[in-house]
Amino acid sequence: MNSRSSADSDQALSVASPPLAELPRAPAADATKSSASILDDLNSAAAPWRGWRLRLLVLAALAGCLAILTLANWVGEQTRLDARWRADPTSRLELVSSGDPALRPFIGRRLLALTTANDRIVFDSAAALQAAPRWAVSDASRNALSTLHDRLHHAFSADWVSLEFDDGESVRAAPRPLGLASSSIGFWLTCSAVLMLYVVAVSVLLANPQPHTLLFALIASCQAANMGFLAVETALQWGFPPALTRFDAPWRSSFDLLTAAAVVHVTSIHPRRLPASQTLAGVAWAVALLSCVALFAGLLPQAWWWSQLTVALLAAASLALLTWSHRIEAHPYSLLLRTVGAMALTAWLTLSGIAVLAHRLPNLHVHFQAIGPMLWSMVFISLLLLIPFLSHSRVALREFSLVVGVSTFAAIFDLILVGFFAFGPLGSVTVTFFVSMGLYAGARHWLLDHLLGQRTLSTERMFEQLYRIAREVEVHPERAPVLLMQLLQDLFEPLEAGTVPSIVGEFAVVKAGGSALLVPANLADASGDQTGTSIVLRFAQRGRRLFNAEDAKFAERIVEQLRRAIAFDRAVEHGRVEERQRLAQDLHDDIGARLLTLMYQSKSPEMEEYVRHTLQDLKTLTRGLSTSDHQLSHAAAEWKTDLHQRLSAAGVVLSWECDYDRDVALSVVQWSALTRILRELVSNSITHARASRVDVTLHLSYSQLELRVSDNGMGHHPEKWSHGLGLGGVRKRTKQLGGQVTWLPLRPNGICCVVKMNDFAVGG
Amino acid sequence: MPVKVLIVEDNPVARSFLSRVVRESFSDDLKITEVGDLRAARRAIGWSSGKPLPHEPYKLILLDLELPDGNGLELLTELTAYGATRIITTLYSDDEHLFPTLQHGADGYLLKEDRFEVLVEELQKIVRGQPPLSPAIARRLLIHFRSNSLSSEVASGGSAFVSSRTSSGHRSNAAIDHERLTPRESEVLTYLSKGFTIKEIANLMGIKWFTVNDHIKSIYKKLNVSSRAEAAVLASKQGLV
Repeated sequence: MNSRSSADSDQALSVASPPLAELPRAPAADATKSSASILDDLNSAAAPWRGWRLRLLVLAALAGCLAILTLANWVGEQTRLDARWRADPTSRLELVSSGDPALRPFIGRRLLALTTANDRIVFDSAAALQAAPRWAVSDASRNALSTLHDRLHHAFSADWVSLEFDDGESVRAAPRPLGLASSSIGFWLTCSAVLMLYVVAVSVLLANPQPHTLLFALIASCQAANMGFLAVETALQWGFPPALTRFDAPWRSSFDLLTAAAVVHVTSIHPRRLPASQTLAGVAWAVALLSCVALFAGLLPQAWWWSQLTVALLAAASLALLTWSHRIEAHPYSLLLRTVGAMALTAWLTLSGIAVLAHRLPNLHVHFQAIGPMLWSMVFISLLLLIPFLSHSRVALREFSLVVGVSTFAAIFDLILVGFFAFGPLGSVTVTFFVSMGLYAGARHWLLDHLLGQRTLSTERMFEQLYRIAREVEVHPERAPVLLMQLLQDLFEPLEAGTVPSIVGEFAVVKAGGSALLVPANLADASGDQTGTSIVLRFAQRGRRLFNAEDAKFAERIVEQLRRAIAFDRAVEHGRVEERQRLAQDLHDDIGARLLTLMYQSKSPEMEEYVRHTLQDLKTLTRGLSTSDHQLSHAAAEWKTDLHQRLSAAGVVLSWECDYDRDVALSVVQWSALTRILRELVSNSITHARASRVDVTLHLSYSQLELRVSDNGMGHHPEKWSHGLGLGGVRKRTKQLGGQVTWLPLRPNGICCVVKMNDFAVGG
Repeated sequence: MPVKVLIVEDNPVARSFLSRVVRESFSDDLKITEVGDLRAARRAIGWSSGKPLPHEPYKLILLDLELPDGNGLELLTELTAYGATRIITTLYSDDEHLFPTLQHGADGYLLKEDRFEVLVEELQKIVRGQPPLSPAIARRLLIHFRSNSLSSEVASGGSAFVSSRTSSGHRSNAAIDHERLTPRESEVLTYLSKGFTIKEIANLMGIKWFTVNDHIKSIYKKLNVSSRAEAAVLASKQGLV
């Protein structure tokens, strides 16, 4: 565990690792992409869908349509009775509808037997409706079914058949080719599903011709073929041609086996190529192909059991491979694929289990045979169709998987109700409906809470963080990408995060099939600058989730909000500065000019000095108002020059010493307080102490400021001085900055004033 | 023959105060003209009317920045070719106000709130060629010359680097020499910006006091020349000359 987490952090540190650096580039151009996903390229590129790809896709789709029409035509040419049957609750064959006027009066009656010139088929159960030999559990039942279909087919080739119904009446009907129009809605629906699957498979392959997309196309084609069998069997209902009867089981089993082998192969190379992937894939293919050959050759006793178990084992192996892959690299895609795979395997095992049960319970049997295989195909192809769109919309994914899950459950539940508890069709459907609705509501809640992962950051904290970052960016604009990255990291908990220089786009994009999110980090106003930084996040929620379009939108909105907050702060600060400057200007110009006049006209030198002092204070005040920050080094230089000028005019020697461990920016308050303290102390030395030398030392270390002003004048016991000497001001200002001031008498004469402030560089 | 002095100041009390300062500063026979606004100042100089200059031009002009009919800077700009020593008298001691005046050819500045004796001494110094240079202005000067030399290097280097300041990117080569400070001048400016006095700088650099002062004068001149050259280039670009 420890070693893994350190590996993770290593990865997180190597910001400029090749996969990250490659991300901003055009996805289709680069064939060496480490974790390209199927859909990334299907979707990310408008460009590949021009030219030959599009033409090929259209051609392939047309070919698919043509194939389906041919199939429908073939179905139409088969001679059969114009009648649809169903199994009634007592497992008898009931006539549901017919286009034949002779049969129409018998709708709702049960069929007992079917007689031709040289055969008589008695129906003691609805077993004839058991559509396909594929799902016949035992060899014996499959053989029986094949024989039945052969006899029916033979009967339908005759000129007439006589049907005997349960009330003793019988009717003659003539089997004939029903034509293209006769195919049921079920046939066309199934065919459209086949076509859709086929087109998706082809487009995925064309968009990004890669081994894993080829395998996806193979899986999809196998399942499309399976569906094709289903469609034909739905249309014909019974009495299949011998070829169909004979090859149904081996072909369909083979398709499932090949699918399973392809799944193992694809999981060994995607999302990450596993060590020994070739061996693994080879073993899977060998197992599947050997089983297929054995099935066709009829070498396997209990062929159904063999194929079901082999498929289940291969599927379980692929799940194990995905888990392994996630251990090696926490790619969320492997987790999602594992979830999808687990759903498919569960459905497979459940259906197989029910098939075994149905074999024992004749009541359930017919129902299962009517729904089971179709249900399996539907579940599987929905999952297949889902895979390319995994990274797109979390909501759609969630709802879709919920609907698939709940409807699978509903169908199985319905079967159980009918099979075990002998519910009537209406009763079972009603109960199933309510139970599934309850399940849907409950599962939805649970899923929202646990499975898909809530955003870990609460809204309040997010706002707080947004505004904190806005403040910080105001002060340190260069830190903006880092701060934004922290926020996004808190939001999405990615395994890796880094910044890459990139051409600034306006929009956040999901890359590499949802394993990465690229967010432009241009927090400044839209300047003409085209190059900027983008933040790349990889593997959301510590590799448990894919990024999707909503995440990209969300990240964009976050950046936008942050940008606004910063712009707002800037505007406010700008307004504040402008207002202060205007105030300072007015004060300076109006009051300053008057004080100057007053100073020139003053009758005594004391008065003149007093007004000069006031004027200087005013200037310090306005200067402080109009300038926002003062570097300590700059301020110290000015203090020194100012003091030097004043002292040398008075014939006093100045010794100045200033050192600081850090050149801090003084706030307006600090600057003006220190300016006035210094001025006050020095004028005190000049005018009252009549000193001939003033020593000033200013030290700043570890946020502790110490200012010493000592002179060699005649002042003593300063604590006894009256406050009129301006020393009150020094006390006040020191206190304002949270410091203390002390006066020490010096030997042989003079005085030293020490001003100390803690936490000077921190606040203020 | 009396030396002609012009004082441009709108506050009459300040005007007479400055007049006293000027009289105290020089032992020569002085003829002081006091005016209250820019219009009167222009009339007194005879500059704006286009008339030929009077035979006895002013030798010293004290110019306030805030005047009722405009900013002293305007007059300063108009007087770039006028021979007088031009001194700004102002209440503003910050570099934002003072730096442009130096750029436009002021020879120095006096802060009006200073004591009489201080003003006298400062005025004498400026006329003797020892202009003041506060740390803040020294800092501004350093930035000014550094960015100038940077942009001229870019222009002469001809690299692919595109400067955003196109106006300074296309200087004539003659102007560039004036815009560069010698290493010594840069050193002096750096010390000044850190608050060292001229005496201290002389000690630190191991040179004479008046050499430091010469450097300061030279910096003043270069600033003045560079801004004049800049103005000329700008004017020729706009087709004014």
